[in-house]
Amino acid sequence: MPRTLWNGSLSFGLVNVPVSLTSAARDLDLHFRQLHGKDGAPIEQRRYCSKENEEVDWEEVAHGYDLDGKQVVVTDAELGLVQPRKTRTIDIEAFVDLEDVDPIYFDHPWFLLPYGESEGTLRAYRLLVKVMESTDRAALGRFVMRTKEYLVLVRPREDLLGLTTLLFHDEVRPTKAIAPGGRKPTGKKVDQAVKVIEGLAADWDPDKYEDCYRRRLQRVVRDKKKGKTIKAPEEVSEPKPAPDLMAALEETLAGMKG
Amino acid sequence: MAPKSIWNGTISFGLAAVPIKLYSATESKTVHFNEVHVSDGARIEHKRVCSKEGKEVPYKEVVKGYEVSEDEYVVLDKDEVAAAAGGRGKVIELEEFVPEGEIDPIFFEKTYYVGSRDESEPYRVLQAALERSGRVGIGRFTFHNREYLAAVRNLNGVLALHTMRFHDEIVHAKELDPPKPGKSPSKREVDMAGKLVDSLHRRFKPDEYEDTYREAVLELVERKAKGEELTPDEPEPEEEPDDLAAALQASLGST
Repeated sequence: MPRTLWNGSLSFGLVNVPVSLTSAARDLDLHFRQLHGKDGAPIEQRRYCSKENEEVDWEEVAHGYDLDGKQVVVTDAELGLVQPRKTRTIDIEAFVDLEDVDPIYFDHPWFLLPYGESEGTLRAYRLLVKVMESTDRAALGRFVMRTKEYLVLVRPREDLLGLTTLLFHDEVRPTKAIAPGGRKPTGKKVDQAVKVIEGLAADWDPDKYEDCYRRRLQRVVRDKKKGKTIKAPEEVSEPKPAPDLMAALEETLAGMKG
Repeated sequence: MAPKSIWNGTISFGLAAVPIKLYSATESKTVHFNEVHVSDGARIEHKRVCSKEGKEVPYKEVVKGYEVSEDEYVVLDKDEVAAAAGGRGKVIELEEFVPEGEIDPIFFEKTYYVGSRDESEPYRVLQAALERSGRVGIGRFTFHNREYLAAVRNLNGVLALHTMRFHDEIVHAKELDPPKPGKSPSKREVDMAGKLVDSLHRRFKPDEYEDTYREAVLELVERKAKGEELTPDEPEPEEEPDDLAAALQASLGST
């Protein structure tokens, strides 16, 4: 069973559904540990007070904030006083159309599961899944986890409730400074590019793509363990932009037909 | 202020090459605190300590090890880790183009903006063609010695690149399988809930949602700085009603 990161309740009007939060993405990366080269012993990160130069236990750590040059210290208990309801309840504020939420706002995916096995909880949970499935709408709410507030989108996923943390609008940078200059491309070039895209069209099938990096890294670890020498592959050189874009597009299309 | 690019490279599709730069598209605005020692307010320093010797270890004596079995590590140097990056260099080859709506955003991990480099024409051609076709380019991309799967799409007239999760990194409902209720919600309950959903229906406008918690935390810091006594913000919430239909009815009455 995956780890529960948070539990509390999902509140929708006057209906409260006890829920727990579990990640909908797992980390399959290979994680390395820092070791001491000399004796191969794992390195531990320890906290020291910069004034006393003594080790400090986790319970003695507080949060310092620089307020116009003056340091203010607040503790976890004090931070817990801020909007305490939000640390226990995901309040649904609105229902929105899923297609209106650009994926750029999506942060981390989770599952919301019913918490406990009481009939009332399970039924209220089911009701939310059903009603959102029938409308193609997603619920917007917010809650606080580990002293950070999250705007969240709750929507049905595989007959359960999926939750995605969203970025706040000011955490997404404007695109204005990125927009390219220059002239609008000619219709003909865009036509040819669309044809190239159609020629390479496929359905989205996530199972087709394996994490080659993870596999190569596993192989490197295995080879090293056997005492083999590890050689870096040769880099492909960066293609130069074709002097004639139109010719490159046409040549691509000719190759596809052949 | 002009944004700073974090990567230079080339997107290729077919034989066409588009010289590009990458920019961060997102930034965290969470209130940032430093770790301090509660008794004297002094900054906390993190030190690397050898678990065997109990002594601080200078950074140059640190190596990276992968645990292959309990307490058995295979040590890799930087070049050996880099060898796994693959040979793609600075090219993002868009191998396939899939319909934009087909990808569940659950696959998107981190977003970057793509800007043009040198001449802008190839960039503008690709952007216009993606927009018109409604498709997203899928390719692989190496960044900081690590290969990612990436999706390149049109976003309001510029290109955005999402790094993607792999299929086996996504958790599915069947792995969780929570208990189901003995009795499904009644039609009346579903109808009432549907009305409640309708009454709360809004057009999503991202800038209507501010991080009020961020402001509240800063306010707490200011109150603390003035030496005020700190008390909890809000009263306790009401008890949860156990009659689902009654709670729905009451919610509809209150909107």
